[in-house]
Amino acid sequence: MTTDAAKPGPARSGLPISILLAGLSIGFFVVVALATGEVSQLSGQGIVGLLQRMVALGLVSIGQTFVILVGSIDLSVAALISAVAVLASHIMQGDPAMILPAILICLGLCLAVGLVNGALVAYGGINPLIATLGTGLIIQGVLAASFGVLQGAVAREFQVIAYGGLLGVPYSLLLLAVLSLAAGFVLDRTLFGARIYAVGGNPDGARLAGIRTERVTLSAHVVASLFAGASGLYLAARLQSGTPWIGRDGIYDLESIAVTVIGGTILAGGKGGVAGTLAGVLLFASLDAGFNMLGVDAFLKQVLRGAIVIAAVAVHAIRTKEHVA
Amino acid sequence: MTAALSMSGISKAFPGVRALDNVDFDCLPGEVHAICGENGAGKSTLMKILGGSYRPDAGTIQLAGTTVHFTHPRQAAEAGISIIHQELSLLPHRTVAENIFMGREIARRGLLDKAAMRRKAAQLLGRIGAEIDPQALVSSLSIAMQQLVEIAKALLLDARIIVMDEPTAALDERGSRTLLTLVQNLRREGVSIVYISHRMPEVMAIADRITILKDGKKVWTRPRDAAPVGEIVRAMVGRDLDDFYPAPPSSPPGAALLAVQDGTNAAVQDVAFTVRAGEIVGVAGLEDSGKGALAQALVGDAPFSSGTITLRGKPVTLRAPRQATAAGIGYLPGDRKREGLALHQSVRDNALLTLRSMAGLLARPQGGAFASNVIDGKLREMDVRAADFGQEIGTLSGGNQQKAIIVRWLAQASDILVFVEPTRGIDIAAKAAIYETMRSFADSGRGIVVVSSDMPELIGVADRILVMHRGRISGELPRGASEEDIMHLALGLADQPHREVHA
Repeated sequence: MTTDAAKPGPARSGLPISILLAGLSIGFFVVVALATGEVSQLSGQGIVGLLQRMVALGLVSIGQTFVILVGSIDLSVAALISAVAVLASHIMQGDPAMILPAILICLGLCLAVGLVNGALVAYGGINPLIATLGTGLIIQGVLAASFGVLQGAVAREFQVIAYGGLLGVPYSLLLLAVLSLAAGFVLDRTLFGARIYAVGGNPDGARLAGIRTERVTLSAHVVASLFAGASGLYLAARLQSGTPWIGRDGIYDLESIAVTVIGGTILAGGKGGVAGTLAGVLLFASLDAGFNMLGVDAFLKQVLRGAIVIAAVAVHAIRTKEHVA
Repeated sequence: MTAALSMSGISKAFPGVRALDNVDFDCLPGEVHAICGENGAGKSTLMKILGGSYRPDAGTIQLAGTTVHFTHPRQAAEAGISIIHQELSLLPHRTVAENIFMGREIARRGLLDKAAMRRKAAQLLGRIGAEIDPQALVSSLSIAMQQLVEIAKALLLDARIIVMDEPTAALDERGSRTLLTLVQNLRREGVSIVYISHRMPEVMAIADRITILKDGKKVWTRPRDAAPVGEIVRAMVGRDLDDFYPAPPSSPPGAALLAVQDGTNAAVQDVAFTVRAGEIVGVAGLEDSGKGALAQALVGDAPFSSGTITLRGKPVTLRAPRQATAAGIGYLPGDRKREGLALHQSVRDNALLTLRSMAGLLARPQGGAFASNVIDGKLREMDVRAADFGQEIGTLSGGNQQKAIIVRWLAQASDILVFVEPTRGIDIAAKAAIYETMRSFADSGRGIVVVSSDMPELIGVADRILVMHRGRISGELPRGASEEDIMHLALGLADQPHREVHA
């Protein structure tokens, strides 16, 4: 405790965690690939395939990181992903001219949902678990009820996002990389980022320091919804048409929370970052890929994932205890 | 000279309490103006109004002659008022520099200039003589260093008025001295300082003027030279003793029930005292005196790390509340809603809590001592007033809630009850009933330790009063002691050698 004060303290303790996790994930993937003889997985194409598994969960988890850092949480992302995927296919109806309007309308919907979530949590004082569970249920219900009318497919040109690429790197991966860097930059280098950490770390202290805490919480919710929208658009491009259960089947709500926490962001808020979250997403992607190579049964896979989530969070708990003591 | 700050006719009421009643207060540039008062005198409320956290019901605030109205702490901060709060408001996982600049980061078009913030933070820390690395995480600093970070935060704004609310409460001697030097330097720079403290030596050392608040009213404001410590103490406490306290016991106390020797932990030091059968022992002290920690140690919530406790002559270990309960020590916490009651459960369930928690796993929850009619009888005996003992306890008055908790411990046949703030938030009539109950509990050959901030209450109900100051028992007073006697010991003004105290 006293030694830390003397030497420059580790300002960003999220970084080592993320590197550790990423190393672990890659190590696991490589070892499994070698052990099962699936050496082709280690080629450039194999690695790109692994990384592409990260896109959908990665996008939504970046947004989730914002709300968790601010001390809130968002359970409505899975339903929102479904809504965006369905809406995008419905508006486009295969017509490339409708790509831009579809994207704008979808992001508009996300903005609205984010504002509602944020207003309920920040100004209504409603517990974020309940508020976002509620909005999620409403979105899911409306979607299921109106799916008959909402049919269609995205434009072929739109699918380039999922299947096209630049110099062998898929556009989707580039999108994830760019948005990750942007999110990391916002959190680390901007006023908005600093406010997010302040509000999440000590809401009363932030308020007394003159921060309008409600606005910060609201903005974080908008960011989370927009990232969920990006994830929904990507899924629509990949699957050609959205179904109302895409988000729920992918368990994007709970998995985005899990990877965020695995990545070292604490649920109470105020500590963590995007780098850790991405490392958590990579861990999930490598586990999936590794289990596939090993031919692990789907149910056992679920059990192992659960165990790994608990183990990862337990390791954090022990690490923080040692650090504080 | 125009006053830097002038508050006039400030009133503020909360449900059931008149926190401030027509209070005037002002502070000149380069002046240290101390506010003294008992717990609950209204000091903190006054400062929260100044800081924009509360809005006054009546009264005006002027800064250098201009009237201001604050609706958000930000406006107070922008007007040059900086408040260093009693509870630290830092971000433990962020660096010192990030904390100093919380809410007012240096940024161009939304982009942070971290290098500039580090430089400025180092400068500010240097100005207050704090050897702290701006890059260190706040969680790695000691409390004293964190306090210095808070002060650096205040200086960042070039605040013209700095309010310090019990700034030395968490500091040791050296930290306190550094802070006082710092206050002197700030004063020389023309900053007005409002200094809230109950540490008399500090107040006498640095205050230019002193204002006394009592029960939400201003008693007087005087220059320090016209305010000897004796006068201050008298002004802080002087009030009439109410006459609803029970008569003292007719017979002298019996054998020792509970004895503590050398009780020490992080919050208290070398505590030693005895409670005899039939005795009510009061514990007085100011907020940070360790009186609450003493109660927590007795009930095993935050145990002594060393020292011995004997019950009826036999040594006992009290490392967890369950052990204390089994040994016959009951606890009536000060914060009933948070620590004492399950508000949405019935009166009956709340009264049965201890019995049930100490019973074996296979005990029938409705039979024997747990039966409704048995506990209902006890509740009626205690005169708990409820339409039906099945109703939620949260709907009862504070007095009836407290009585239901007493029933909980009577049902468990405890020998010693530890009360913390037994009548906080309870109306006068119910108070008398609770004092009566405490007396009859003691008269039945058992003992009570009552920790309270309400001095008239201790004087009225306790047979002896232990006074705590900075984690130690600074003195013991017999029945009939005055509030001034208690306050003298509580302020550490009569710091006698500890040998005498133990004798």
